Amino acid sequence: MSTAVLEVKDVQKIYGKKGESQSHALKGVSLTIEKGEFVGIMGPSGSGKTTLLNVISTLDRPSAGFIQIAGTNITQMRQNQLADFRSQKLGFIFQDFNLLENLTVYENIALPLSLQGVPSKEISAKVNKVAQTLGISEILQKYPVQISGGQKQRAAAARALVHEPAILLADEPTGALDSKNAKSLLETMADLNENHQVSIMMVTHDAFSASYCKRILFIQDGSLYTEIHRTTDRPQFFKQILDVLAELGASHDG
Amino acid sequence: MLLKLSLSSMRKMMKDYLVLLVGLVISISIFYMFQTLGMNDDYVKANSMIRSIGIVFNVGAFLLAFITIFYIFYANSFLLSLRRKELGMYMVLGAKKARISQMLFGETLLMGVVSLVIGSLVGIVLSSGIGQLLMGVLDISADGYYPFYLPALWMTWGFFLVLFLMTATINAIRLARATELDLISAEQQNDNIKAKGIGTMVVAILGILLIAFGYYLLTHLELYVALGFIVGAIVTTIGTYLVFISLLPVFVQMLKNNKKLNDRQLNAFTLAQLRFRINNLTKILGTVAMLIALGVGAMAGGLAFQQNVELVASIGRIYDITLHDPVAEDYQALARMQVLEQNTYRYKKDEQAYYFTKDDLLAHPPLISTNTMEQYSPDNEPKRVTQPLPEKAYIMNNDPDEEQKLARVPKEWGQAILREFISSYEMLADRAVQIVDQETYAKIEGSEHKVLVAQVDDFLKYKDDLKAMDERQMKLLKSGQQDDQEVYLNSKYSTYQQVYAFTSGTLFMGFFLGIAFLAMMASCLMFKILSGATRDKGRYSMLRKIGVRKELLVGSIYKELFVVFVFPALMGLLHVLVGMKMFSVILLNPYVNIWAPIAIFVAVYAIYYLITVRLYRGIVLPKEV
Repeated sequence: MSTAVLEVKDVQKIYGKKGESQSHALKGVSLTIEKGEFVGIMGPSGSGKTTLLNVISTLDRPSAGFIQIAGTNITQMRQNQLADFRSQKLGFIFQDFNLLENLTVYENIALPLSLQGVPSKEISAKVNKVAQTLGISEILQKYPVQISGGQKQRAAAARALVHEPAILLADEPTGALDSKNAKSLLETMADLNENHQVSIMMVTHDAFSASYCKRILFIQDGSLYTEIHRTTDRPQFFKQILDVLAELGASHDG
Repeated sequence: MLLKLSLSSMRKMMKDYLVLLVGLVISISIFYMFQTLGMNDDYVKANSMIRSIGIVFNVGAFLLAFITIFYIFYANSFLLSLRRKELGMYMVLGAKKARISQMLFGETLLMGVVSLVIGSLVGIVLSSGIGQLLMGVLDISADGYYPFYLPALWMTWGFFLVLFLMTATINAIRLARATELDLISAEQQNDNIKAKGIGTMVVAILGILLIAFGYYLLTHLELYVALGFIVGAIVTTIGTYLVFISLLPVFVQMLKNNKKLNDRQLNAFTLAQLRFRINNLTKILGTVAMLIALGVGAMAGGLAFQQNVELVASIGRIYDITLHDPVAEDYQALARMQVLEQNTYRYKKDEQAYYFTKDDLLAHPPLISTNTMEQYSPDNEPKRVTQPLPEKAYIMNNDPDEEQKLARVPKEWGQAILREFISSYEMLADRAVQIVDQETYAKIEGSEHKVLVAQVDDFLKYKDDLKAMDERQMKLLKSGQQDDQEVYLNSKYSTYQQVYAFTSGTLFMGFFLGIAFLAMMASCLMFKILSGATRDKGRYSMLRKIGVRKELLVGSIYKELFVVFVFPALMGLLHVLVGMKMFSVILLNPYVNIWAPIAIFVAVYAIYYLITVRLYRGIVLPKEV
C-alpha cells in the first residue's frame, strides 16, 4: 500500500498559446511526498518552484501530467471541486500571511471550518486546540493589525492546520519575518511534523529555512536538478544545502 | 507629455468616468427640459393653462440645480481620490505641481464640456419626445413650444459651466495643498475598527428620538404650519444621519456577536466587510436616504396631486353639467349620456341681479356637496337642499350698505346657486342673487333664461361632449361681456381640466426630478463602494486560495451590498410614507396609488444595485484559470 500523500508525474506547464512564443515553466517534473514528510523545494528565482507550488495547490492547472493528493487525482477536477478540495485537504501558509485584517485571529482560524459547515461549538474547540499548539491562545480576539509579524504567521499556520489537511503547503513562510521569529516558526513547523505527523511541503530560497526540512528537492529551469536527504544534524545539512546551491549557481554561470 | 498621460489615465478609468458622465448627462438634460418649459414666455402666454406649470418647472429646475452642485463636488472629489497615487507618482518623477494642477483643471473642465454637449443633445431629444407627449396628455397645443430653445440652452450652459469651473478650481486647490507623500501613501490607510461603547447607544437613541419628533411635527402640520415644516425637516435629517452613524454599526455588531450566525460559512467575512463598509459609509448612507426621500417624495407628491384631480374637481360641484340656455346640440349630447338627474330652472337677469323662482327651486330641490376643502371625506354623500323658503323674496351677494329690506337667502340655497348654477364669476359680476315667488318674478323686467344642471354616471366618459358644451357656454358668456375680458368657466369639466394640467405638470416634474435624484444618489453610493474595491481585492483572492467556492464569494458580495443598499432605501421610503402625510393639508388623499412611484424607485435602485455588484465583482474576484 502506498503511503504517498502527494504524487506528481511528468507535470508540464507551458505559458503562452500554441504558435506564439511559449515559455516552459515546468518541463516534466515528477516527485512523491510520503505521509509525514517535511520536504523543501529550492531553486533560484525563475526556476519554476512557484509554478510547481501553484499547480500542486490547484490554483493553476498543469498543461500535461498527473497530480494526486491523498489518493485523489486533481488534474481532472472542476472549479468548484477544486475549491472544495483546497478547503478540505490543503493548508496554506503564505509569505505575506494573507490573514483577513478585518477578522479577528479567531475568526481567521475558524474560517476553513465555517466553510465546511462545522457546528459553532466544535469550531470553538478546534480553534482553541490549534491555537494552544501554536502558542497564540492569548491573541485570539485581536485583529491582525494589533499583533506582531511572528504572531501573524502563527495565526496563518493555525488557520492552515485547523481542518487537519492532508498536506501543509508553505510558500516562503519566513520571507517577511525577522530571524528570531523565523527561527521560532521553523521550529514550530518541525515540531508539528515530528510530533503531530503533519506532512509539509515548503517552497523557499532561504537555505537556513530549508535546513529544517528532512528532504530537499532542487529545481532549475523547470526540471528537477537534484535531491538531498538530511542524515546529519541541522548545521551540517545547512552546509550541504549551500554546496548544492553553489553548484547550481556554477552551472548557471557555465 | 502630461496631456498624453492625462488622456491615457482617463481612458483607463473610463468606467468610473462613465458613471459620473451618466449622472451628469441625466441632470443636464432634465435641467434643460425644465428650462424649455419654464422659460419660454411666448409659449406660456399662449397657453393660459400652463402658466401655473411654468412656476412648477422653475422650482423643479432650482431643486435639481441645488442637488447637482453637491453631486458634482462629491463625484469630482471621488475621482480625485482615485487618482491621488498616480498624480503623486508624476510629482515624484519630477512633474511640477502647477502643471499637474493645470492638467487636473483641464480634465475636470473637459469632462464638464463633454457632459454638457451630450446632456444638451439628450435634453433636446427628451424635450421633443416627452415634452410633446406631455402636451398631448394635457390637451394643450404645442404651437410655440420649441424643443430646441436657445435661451434655455444658454441658461443650461451658463449654469453648468460656472459649476464646472468652480469644481475644477477647488480640485486644483486641493491638489496644490497636498504633499507628494500624502498622495503616494493615500491608499495605505488601514481600515480602523473603532470601539463602539455606551456613547454610540446614546447617539442611536438620540437619532431615533429626533426622527420621531420630526415625524410628529411633519404629520401635524395643521398645528405648527411653516415652522413645523422647517423644524421637522431639519430634525428628521439630523436624526437620519445620527441613526446611520450609530444604530447601523451597532446592529451589524450585534449580528456579528451572534456566534452561531457568525461561524456559518462565509458569514464572518461578510459581516466583517459589512461592518467596515457601514462604518465608512455612514455619512453617504445618510445622504442617500435623504435623497431617496426627496426623489421618491417628488414622484409621489406629483402623482398624489394628479390622482386627486377628480376629487378636487368634485368637492364643490355635485352636478357634472351646468348649461345656461342650452341649445339643440346640448340636448343631443345629453341624450348620448347616461343622465342620473337633470333639472332645469328658470331665471331672469337684469343689471342688478339674477332672479330665481321659488316654485322651480322647491319643485326640484338641487343637490349640494357636504365636502369642503378643509373637511373632506369620501363618505360625505351629497345632500338635497331641504331648507324651506316661506318669505316672498330673498337676496344675497348684494352690497352690504344697501338697505336690508329683504331676507337673506338661506345658506344651503345660496350654496346651490353659487356653486352649482352659476358657472363663472365673470357671469355674476356685481349682480346680486334673489329668490322670489311667482308673482314677483312675473313683474321683473329683464331677459328670461334657464339653467340646466345634470349629473351623469361618470363624467370622465364624456370628456369630448363636455368639452364641446363648455366651449359653447364660453361663447355665450363672452357675447355678454366687454371685449378682451378674460373669462374662466367653473364647470366641473373646466375645473377638472385646469387642475389636471397643473397636477400633470407637477407629476411630470416630480417624476423627472425623482429620476435625476435617484440616478445621482445611486451613482454616489456606487462610487463610494467601488473606490474601496481595490482594497478588498486581496481579501477575495486569499479566500479563493484557501478554497472558498466562487458562488460563496459572489453570494457574499450580493449579501453585503444588499444590506448597504437596503438600509438607506428603507429609511428613505419610511420618510416618504410619513412625509406624504404633510400633503394631507392640501390634498384630499395623498396616498392614492403611492405604490407606483415606489415601484419606479425600486426598479431604478435595483438596477444600480445590480450594476454595482457586477462592477465590484469585476474588480475583486480573481480571474479563473
